[in-house]
Amino acid sequence: MIQTMEQRIREEARKLLESGDVTLVIGWEAGSAPFKTTPVFIESPEDVDRLVWNPACTNNLAVYLPELAKHAKVGIVAKPCDTRSIVTLIQEKQVARENVRVIGLACAGVVDDAALSNAGLRLSEVRALDWDGENLKVSTDSAAKSIPLSEAVKEGCPTCEQHMPVMSDVTVGESNQQSAISDQQSLDSFDDRRAYWAEQFDRCIRCYACRQVCPSCYCSLCFADRNDLKWTNKRMVASEAWMWHMGRAMHLAGRCIGCGECERACPMGLPIMRLNREVARHVEELFGYIPGMDLEEAPVLGRFDPEDKDPNEH
Amino acid sequence: MTEQTVEHENAQNGWRPVILGILCNWCSYAGADLAGSSRLKYPPNVRIVRVPCSGRVNPLYVLKGFQKGFDGVMVLGCHPGDCHYAKGNYYARRRIMLLREFLQSVGIEPERFHFEWVSASEGNRFAEVVAEMTAAIEKIGPFAGVDVTGPQRRGERESVQSEPSASP
Repeated sequence: MIQTMEQRIREEARKLLESGDVTLVIGWEAGSAPFKTTPVFIESPEDVDRLVWNPACTNNLAVYLPELAKHAKVGIVAKPCDTRSIVTLIQEKQVARENVRVIGLACAGVVDDAALSNAGLRLSEVRALDWDGENLKVSTDSAAKSIPLSEAVKEGCPTCEQHMPVMSDVTVGESNQQSAISDQQSLDSFDDRRAYWAEQFDRCIRCYACRQVCPSCYCSLCFADRNDLKWTNKRMVASEAWMWHMGRAMHLAGRCIGCGECERACPMGLPIMRLNREVARHVEELFGYIPGMDLEEAPVLGRFDPEDKDPNEH
Repeated sequence: MTEQTVEHENAQNGWRPVILGILCNWCSYAGADLAGSSRLKYPPNVRIVRVPCSGRVNPLYVLKGFQKGFDGVMVLGCHPGDCHYAKGNYYARRRIMLLREFLQSVGIEPERFHFEWVSASEGNRFAEVVAEMTAAIEKIGPFAGVDVTGPQRRGERESVQSEPSASP
């Protein structure tokens, strides 16, 4: 499956570059190890064979669009979640629709180094990764192992309901995958929740990797970097990290499409997606809105309905 | 800890709720002024911050209040249709209703965050809102804070006191 999709991706990229329709194609290429890939920026048709497609293609490449597609047309290889990010960026007028050519891919889920380790694999022994129905096929030096996808994929994947791109100029691959596992249960009491998050954020080192990988975090001056108003200062305490993560979660409200890159990038393994999923759940319950699905829609908090739920109606 | 124990213990230690109030200039702040000039009696536990419009309220303001240790936060604005800037309160309604749900997901009880419409002529209502919220928070006790260090008693709390804290 990988081979044919990979070949098609390269073919589509070649066509885009040869026609001069785009100046650049953003995709993934082989990384420093078989279970890793890295973003690549292909400028000439001769280089398209560097493009790869395998379960290690985790990065959400839409993060590069606000900068690269501002004044130039670019091609981009995108998983379904990535296409939702592209929709969000277009809705918010960060990228013009005409400036992107999307090579959309069918996707069964991408792996996370931590998840692979948890599944009992020595990363140094991994030689290749491939999808195999509901499983991940991992080839090591000595054998081929099959792991259920749900145990090997990154945090955004198990609850994903879009296995095909939500928008694209060309689509590669097919999927008839239906399942999405249900969301996490809420913690029981208010105090349990409060204590849980205090404990989690005590480990945050404020590297802002979560912000840097996120396509929706494109503010030229982030609230956390301001010195005129100190929303959060440099003290390494849980309360400052709380302020950062809560502020970010609210700023992403109605805009986070749940790709899980933030959690994958976090060096401390913080459960950032748990927070984002809670916000997304409330957005859906209150406004019936799911982010990143419809190019024509305006952002949910950028508009209102005179019939919105009213606080005085309690 | 039973409700009774919390109330009893707090009262014994001299704890009183400290509540942050974010009020819009044209309606709710004017309503608060009216309560004052009418000499209405209401609890002194709310610290008021005036904003031009409830639509100005960035969720960060509310989050900052809880981070700093306020036991409760209230946001008051103009009734729908009466906003001085025409639509500000409609945007606020969406944003703040969402914030209210989200705060509960992270362990902040609904009693600690109040959102309501209070008009400039509703001095009585303002006094009522303050009294109700103060009573509700007296019942559930001080906010345990967002840090791992646990409940902070008055005197230990860093920034809600009048004297500046020693740390930067």
